[in-house]
Amino acid sequence: MVEKGSNKIQSIIRACRIILRMVEVDPNARESQKKYYRMLLQYFTRLRDAQENGQFIAAHTVFFPSEIILAMDLVPMHTETTTWMISLFTGECSDILAAGVREGMATEICAPHRGMTGAFANGSIPKPDVMLWSNMVCDNTAKSGELVMDICDCPGYFLDRPFKNSDLEKAYFADEVRDMIAFLETQSGKKMDYNRLSEIAETTNRQINLTREINELRKNVPSPFSPLGFLELLTIDYLFPGQPESVDYLETLKKELTQAVAEKKGAVPNERFRLMTLFIPPMYLMAFLDRLSRESGAVSVIEPFFTFWGEGNLDPSKPVEAVAEKSYMIPEARMYGPLGNTALETMKQCVLDWKVDGAVFYADVGCRHSCATIKLFKDTLADVDVPMLTIDCDVVDQTVTTEEEVTEKMERFFELLEDR
Amino acid sequence: MLAVGVDIGNLTTKAVVMNGSKLLASSVIQTLDEADASALSAMNKAFEFAGEEPAVKKLVVTTGAGGKEVSFADRSKAITTCLARGISWCKPGIRLVIDIGAESSTVVKMNGRGRVVDWANHDKCASGTGLFLQQMARLMKLSFEEMSELSREASQGAEISGTCAVFAESEVISHVHRVPPTPMPDIILGIYLSVSTRIKSMCKRVGMENPLAISGGVALHEGFVQNLEKEIGEPIYVPENPVCIAAIGAAILAGEEINKDALK
Repeated sequence: MVEKGSNKIQSIIRACRIILRMVEVDPNARESQKKYYRMLLQYFTRLRDAQENGQFIAAHTVFFPSEIILAMDLVPMHTETTTWMISLFTGECSDILAAGVREGMATEICAPHRGMTGAFANGSIPKPDVMLWSNMVCDNTAKSGELVMDICDCPGYFLDRPFKNSDLEKAYFADEVRDMIAFLETQSGKKMDYNRLSEIAETTNRQINLTREINELRKNVPSPFSPLGFLELLTIDYLFPGQPESVDYLETLKKELTQAVAEKKGAVPNERFRLMTLFIPPMYLMAFLDRLSRESGAVSVIEPFFTFWGEGNLDPSKPVEAVAEKSYMIPEARMYGPLGNTALETMKQCVLDWKVDGAVFYADVGCRHSCATIKLFKDTLADVDVPMLTIDCDVVDQTVTTEEEVTEKMERFFELLEDR
Repeated sequence: MLAVGVDIGNLTTKAVVMNGSKLLASSVIQTLDEADASALSAMNKAFEFAGEEPAVKKLVVTTGAGGKEVSFADRSKAITTCLARGISWCKPGIRLVIDIGAESSTVVKMNGRGRVVDWANHDKCASGTGLFLQQMARLMKLSFEEMSELSREASQGAEISGTCAVFAESEVISHVHRVPPTPMPDIILGIYLSVSTRIKSMCKRVGMENPLAISGGVALHEGFVQNLEKEIGEPIYVPENPVCIAAIGAAILAGEEINKDALK
């Protein structure tokens, strides 16, 4: 018998509302920040009310092409981001993590997946009408997808994406996406709107190009964007791909950063360390990390595997192919996919272009994919004389590391950078 | 003005008083409950040894586990920075220092100017630390000197876990009680190897550099250091006062601050 959990989506909404209220009266807050929180509020409110409104919820794992879900006017639930947001906004995930363990998710498995499983099991997030997962980039999804189908007693679809990116493999993946669309049409009773999907692909191009332009602005010294602002870019990409509100947010942000650059105004009062961020910081430490960064004059200026989009654009005239193509273009694919010299050379080039002093690798213990790259990245960065700090942590599980441990490591690292 | 460095460790607190680049005195005391009391007590003892009054004009830099909690410190610095400065003062040119303290072990890699390039540390488990060696010595009812002597007679190291202090203790007990029991020298060598392997792995993680040195209380454990040299395949420099290296580094940093202030 599983104990019923509190309504986590409601907790996210409540926290979002409070933050939005604070941001709206803060004279120093960015307009884009206000838009960002309004978007989060809209995403989770729609999710909370979906069942009551008779809407079809499609839960999907990270990197899954949610453009399909949006084009069919279904309600998406990005499972990992939902777990992060629970941690970020409530500061607490231990109950859902424990529930996940009780469902058989070992403690070594990626905590967002463990938490998501637990949250479904104890009813603290709404059960989806369908579960969609894939081997796209992250392989933990394969461990939780079927389990979620069992727990939620819902049908599911596993999207098989080939590891490499030849034309043949991309064509295979596009066929997989078509099969999944047929599956979703059967399950939801709704038809795919291919014109809408084309529009989404078109808007995604605009979104990617705006992110590229924002990153160009971040090359300036001092950097105009918040120390950990890249998480906003990441969330926008994960939750609102190809949506007009994403473009609105990014255009507003770009305008703000352009103005800050013109005024030579940095995001932190005294920029001392320009950092490259590798992987995702612990969500429950975000407020603390932001404070520490501001006090120390440290700013993340580039994230080669999260915000740095590769070359190319999507072809909106072939929307299904465009969705398949995007899965090979996403910055994360460079880290998790076939990790070749191109990815490592990109990282080195980022160091030079963004004038990086040091790199911070948040080594999420549950992510074997990323942790396997630690030594390789460290050695690669050493070639361009950039030290890398590795922080053993977990994106949501608070038992892995403490604020004190992170402070100590960060301070040692900043002293190292200062002393060079 | 005198430069004072204080290193508050989990087990002992070390204080060093310097005048310019000259070391006047050092002291080591058991760490007390309060960081302020530990630092003050160690500092006063060092002043006494130096023949100076505690009220003398001074600049205090603290480091170590409790370094930031000292209310009267002028600065607090990271242990890695202090170890690098301290060992470079003892022997310029050292590129890697292995510090094995009571409850943690740290490897610091330095550049030619004695500045930190990288580090690795281990503080999640007692294995690979001074307390682990102390606990093993107690278990076998031997002193460190006796362990060192006996280790020289070992033919091969007994298998002992290097990843978990609890498993290691059970393994030592089973080696002692098996029939026939594993020879004591082989058990001791096994214990040394379990720590050396972990330290070697940390050295490899930051990248092995020569020449290298050892600091911390375990540096006084002759048999262990010899075993570590064998494992690493390089001679290891043991400074005269290995327990106080971080405190020396802190005092040097205090001296740098004094010089900076003088230039203003």
